[in-house]
Amino acid sequence: MFSRRLSTRLATIALASATAFTLAGCGEDTTSGESGSNNSQSGAGKTLTVWIMEGTNPDATPFFEKVKTDFKAQTGADVDIQFVPWANAHDKFVNAVGGGETPDVAEVGTTWTPEFADAGILADLSDRVKDKDPLVDSLVTAGELDGKLYGMPWYAGVRSIVYRTDVFEELGIEPPTNWDELLAAGQKIKASKPDMIPFPVAGDSTFGLLPFVWGADGEVAEQDGDAWKSTLDSEQAREGIQFYTDMALKHGLSTPAATTWKETNLRDEFVKGTVAMMISGSWTPKSILQKAPQLDGKIGAFSIPGQDGGLSRSFVGGSHLAVFDNTDEKDLSWKFVELMTSESFAGDWASQSSFFPGIESLLEKAMAKDDPLVSPFAVQMKDAGETVPVTPAWGKVEAKKTIGAMLQAILSGSKSVEQATADAAAEMTDTLKG
Amino acid sequence: MTEPVAASIGTPPATTGGVLDRVEVGGTRGGPPTRRRRARPPQRNPLRAWLLLAPALLVLGGLLLLPLVRVTTMSFEDMSGLRALARGEGDFVGLDNYREVLGSRQLWLTVLPNTVVVAILCVVLTVVVGTLAALLLESLRPRTRALVTMAILTAWAVPAVTGTYIWIWIFNPGDGLVSEAAQALGLVDPGGENWFTNRYAFFAIVVINVVHHGYPFVALTVLAGLLTVPAELTEAAVLDGAGAWRRFWSVTVPLLRPVFAVVTILSTIWDFKVFTQVFLMPGGDGANREVLNLGTWSYVEAFGQIEYGIGSAIAVVLTITLLLITSVYLRTLFREGELT
Repeated sequence: MFSRRLSTRLATIALASATAFTLAGCGEDTTSGESGSNNSQSGAGKTLTVWIMEGTNPDATPFFEKVKTDFKAQTGADVDIQFVPWANAHDKFVNAVGGGETPDVAEVGTTWTPEFADAGILADLSDRVKDKDPLVDSLVTAGELDGKLYGMPWYAGVRSIVYRTDVFEELGIEPPTNWDELLAAGQKIKASKPDMIPFPVAGDSTFGLLPFVWGADGEVAEQDGDAWKSTLDSEQAREGIQFYTDMALKHGLSTPAATTWKETNLRDEFVKGTVAMMISGSWTPKSILQKAPQLDGKIGAFSIPGQDGGLSRSFVGGSHLAVFDNTDEKDLSWKFVELMTSESFAGDWASQSSFFPGIESLLEKAMAKDDPLVSPFAVQMKDAGETVPVTPAWGKVEAKKTIGAMLQAILSGSKSVEQATADAAAEMTDTLKG
Repeated sequence: MTEPVAASIGTPPATTGGVLDRVEVGGTRGGPPTRRRRARPPQRNPLRAWLLLAPALLVLGGLLLLPLVRVTTMSFEDMSGLRALARGEGDFVGLDNYREVLGSRQLWLTVLPNTVVVAILCVVLTVVVGTLAALLLESLRPRTRALVTMAILTAWAVPAVTGTYIWIWIFNPGDGLVSEAAQALGLVDPGGENWFTNRYAFFAIVVINVVHHGYPFVALTVLAGLLTVPAELTEAAVLDGAGAWRRFWSVTVPLLRPVFAVVTILSTIWDFKVFTQVFLMPGGDGANREVLNLGTWSYVEAFGQIEYGIGSAIAVVLTITLLLITSVYLRTLFREGELT
């Protein structure tokens, strides 16, 4: 009898706690409300739902207040801005597609646009964007599928090398102009500053590695007819990957910890003052100085040097604004995209977020400013910008972490460069089949 | 809340020698009802019973049954790509998804061993540590017990995400607490060792994390059980000359068997589908293929690749496995008729 009483009570306890867990696991849903308006314009009484990635602009509220006011004045419609964290944005889009609850307009990462366009969930913007000349080329390319434009270039960034000017000056090092000089600079720092990490090689940073693949004249994948074939196992790509990982394994310019670092870890370490050089995005110097004001005047940037001079190509990544195909308000949605990519708003957004605008004239303006923390990136973007294979299946390669897994396997010593690149190339070719 | 009829009737247990065969004592078969009014059969009006059950059934049906059915049907469909997802249906492909899942070398060589071994370690350690904590709590005076309980509960209250990051910091190569201690002791090179890249070290950290997060639940549940163990049973055992060790195994454990069943089953289910504690670890999100477990593997392979048919097949396989394990547990833990 004791066991009965006991088990009944305990079952109740267990059930109650189990229920609590189940319920806690349920996500919250967002609903867009219709707010009334007696404005007589076409959009009066309507509300657009817009998804924007979180964190691009450190304080986006004033910006979007202004956008909302202007849009209301122009069309009479309201805008419901919802912020989505980058980390789960792709999942959120996929779930929204499955549930038929996509927004009207959304910021879409440039590498995702072909995938979403291929699925038929984005509206074709070709007829609305007659003149593509003022737009940044690489962003237009990334937004196109089968000759049709699905993503309106909004903003972009590029990675170059951020370094400590005080360390370079102290040791009499000039910004490197080829790979040998880059290696020599690292070795000099290692010899004189044993507490510093001269050039951390972050294992979980695809876009830190790719400049070395491209810099050695390698490619990630090549298109042959309709099929894509990964060329990470080509001689050139292997040479670049070998050089990049040798800096860590052979020359000890990195640290074992970096094997599992993402770009954010890289930046955190740099903020601590322990890193001398790192591959870093054009949007980071501002946030580094915010977090570490003591580094003010001590950091600089240089474009990623080429193997034997010139520049190594670097990935230009950014965001498109896309209209979703199943919105009831295509015209209104496009008006919103037009407003956001207008010179004044796109310019404001770029300067507030330290990204480069997707409009050529504004990009040139940024290049003309002789800011040592801006112009090396602008040069990189304009002269040595590159994009990953423009195919709907690229998102799957990213999700599978093919390149990150390859790099980590080499850095942790579990695979040789030959083995790791061969495995990665086979996997990527398979994934790119769709 | 009213006491269930079954629990309030029956004869008191014998105080000597009755401990071990207590199972046969009590139950509805036994003594006459003590409170007449309560004994009136309540099922005069079945409609009312169903009406009362309806809200719960609707919620359960909506939240549990419907998705379960959909997942099962989806596991037989080719739901790959956003296009199929947008359409909401895929072509029927029979057992193809299952064939692909079960035919994967990675599943058998890496994913399953990682999942099963880690789950077993986690369950055993969670239950042992939780029971020890419960015994400690039981021996404390009420005020101290409240304090210690609160301290233990914080480990449970911390979300898995936060807890995982704390353990990452502790083991962070270079400047983590453990790394610095190991460097100070000269166990690793000054540059630090990156434990996250080693499969065994990686999962050792995962196990610590999961056990730390899971044992408070076991401790509290077992404590609730311990507090209901009648003092006279322990007294009788003491009179019979049993020491603490003997009392624990011969009095406490048999009495608390249902409790252990509940915590073991729940822990097994939770520990089999550990996701956050692996995914958030450096390299755990698929970048280190050596440390994929069932949760992260299905996420990377199915959801990352937008292969919902495959994902559903994995979910069905996992559910069936867990059902099997649970039923085996129930059978071994209970002789017939013990769990009601």
